[in-house]
Amino acid sequence: MAVPAVEELQHHVQLKPGDVGRYVFLPGDPGRCEKIASYFEGPRQVAQNREYNTYTGTLLGEPVSVTSTGIGGPSSAIAMEELTKIGADTFIRVGTSGAMQEWIEPGDLGIVWGAIRDEGTSLHYLPVEFPAVANLDVTLALREGARRTGARAHVGIGQSKDSFYGQHEPGRMPVAQRLHDRWAAWMAGGAICSEMEAATLYIVAASLGVRAGGIMLIAGHPDQRPMTPEESARMDLDVLLRTAIEGLKVLIEADRAAGGTPGRGSANGRANGQA
Amino acid sequence: MTSVTELAASGRTPIPGFVAEHLHVTPDQIGRYVLLPGDPGRCEPIARHFDDARHIATHREYVTWTGSLLGEPVSVVSTGIGCPSAAIAVEELSRLGADTFIRVGTSGGMQPFCGVGDLAIVSAAIRDEGTTSHYLPMEFPAVADIDVVDALREAARRTGARAHVGVSQSKDSFYGEIDPDSSPVAPQLHARWSAWVKGGAICSEMEAAAIFTVAAIRRRRAGGVMLMAGNLEMPQEELEAAMKTLTLDGLIGTAVEALRVMIERDHAAAAG
Repeated sequence: MAVPAVEELQHHVQLKPGDVGRYVFLPGDPGRCEKIASYFEGPRQVAQNREYNTYTGTLLGEPVSVTSTGIGGPSSAIAMEELTKIGADTFIRVGTSGAMQEWIEPGDLGIVWGAIRDEGTSLHYLPVEFPAVANLDVTLALREGARRTGARAHVGIGQSKDSFYGQHEPGRMPVAQRLHDRWAAWMAGGAICSEMEAATLYIVAASLGVRAGGIMLIAGHPDQRPMTPEESARMDLDVLLRTAIEGLKVLIEADRAAGGTPGRGSANGRANGQA
Repeated sequence: MTSVTELAASGRTPIPGFVAEHLHVTPDQIGRYVLLPGDPGRCEPIARHFDDARHIATHREYVTWTGSLLGEPVSVVSTGIGCPSAAIAVEELSRLGADTFIRVGTSGGMQPFCGVGDLAIVSAAIRDEGTTSHYLPMEFPAVADIDVVDALREAARRTGARAHVGVSQSKDSFYGEIDPDSSPVAPQLHARWSAWVKGGAICSEMEAAAIFTVAAIRRRRAGGVMLMAGNLEMPQEELEAAMKTLTLDGLIGTAVEALRVMIERDHAAAAG
């Protein structure tokens, strides 16, 4: 990996080169970072500022980090920009999401291969026609991670929205009809889960030439009816986190087998680089 | 008429009474696995790689051949140029019971590392076209099926083809790409092309976005592999020298091999 030229602390995440590994988990919730880091070897907190909470440790001897993004595209884009400047090049979003197909059971995992750009931030990077697609190797590694942990996982499309309550209570919004119609279209297109950061992260990653993917714990139902107590009992964050960790181990092994470290900006370091 | 949900659920069962008015083929004449070139003239050379290939139909720009691979019926159907005719082909083939589509064709390379003669395995497509807006709002990504993408990459490993996985630009105007200054909206074409390149797009073609989007809605699997013939980011002399050695053999061989990979994996999954 090229040594980043930037030595001063990054403005929002308050991190400098050497503080994070090449591989970074991106949860939304700052309160989830310590829990995720507990799956690393030798985790330590390296910074906390605003919604950005960062821990670094190792997996298979490789430095890995977790940085929370806060909720939504704007703060997530800032996190990815600043982490990339200090040397990270592979990002895995982990978090919770809402079900968008009836055949999905609460507690299933969604591996987000593509994301609906139902948000504003990514338009500051690329026209809306550009697909928000995850890196193939990261996505296949997460699927292999799910095989190893035995988690029930689906590879598919996520809806990345800017309004949590627009999804959960669309009927009370002035644009209710539009929200209902578009939700129905996303379901018809086969979207599997609704969350708030993947599209921004994938488009920013494409623009920066880094790799990104995402895995979500899926809750609820497409019609917003409440979960039964049995369904709620299936929601297990530990399954999500163990699978995400296992997926990253698969990726680290694959990167090592491929002979190392694709540099950013080179052919095979691009977000969707050489096979 | 069939509803969105009926079609999504129909899988490999043909829609009863459906007449393919553009393709002029019947369900028993079509394999589950279909290669989709743009050019009708390319169907016969592709079909020669199948066992027992036979010509089925020619109507408008749609030429159909069917044969078999590993004992499984497979077809090749030309789509014509552009998303409008490609969407019709995928719609009719989906109603006839086909469920796996691989677009195969030529494209322009968009990155300096995309050599003339390299293959592009299309993971997702820029919806720089009009057809898919008739299906889904523009924010929805036109992504390939991940198993088809993975099979194409495995096929390229087997054939030894130099391949890149990445995003394609699916455009509606060929001359808007190769001669943007001839268009009244030249500044817009230049600015957008530059954005696609900076976003990492690897090749420019004209059908993938519609094939991926229609397949996603119908719950079929689609992917694409493109020969990179020409590269607008490359010096002209270098380009002309490289073009002289260009053949379709690696492209067609890899696309056919990808069907074998899909068939092998589907058979293995069915066997449990």
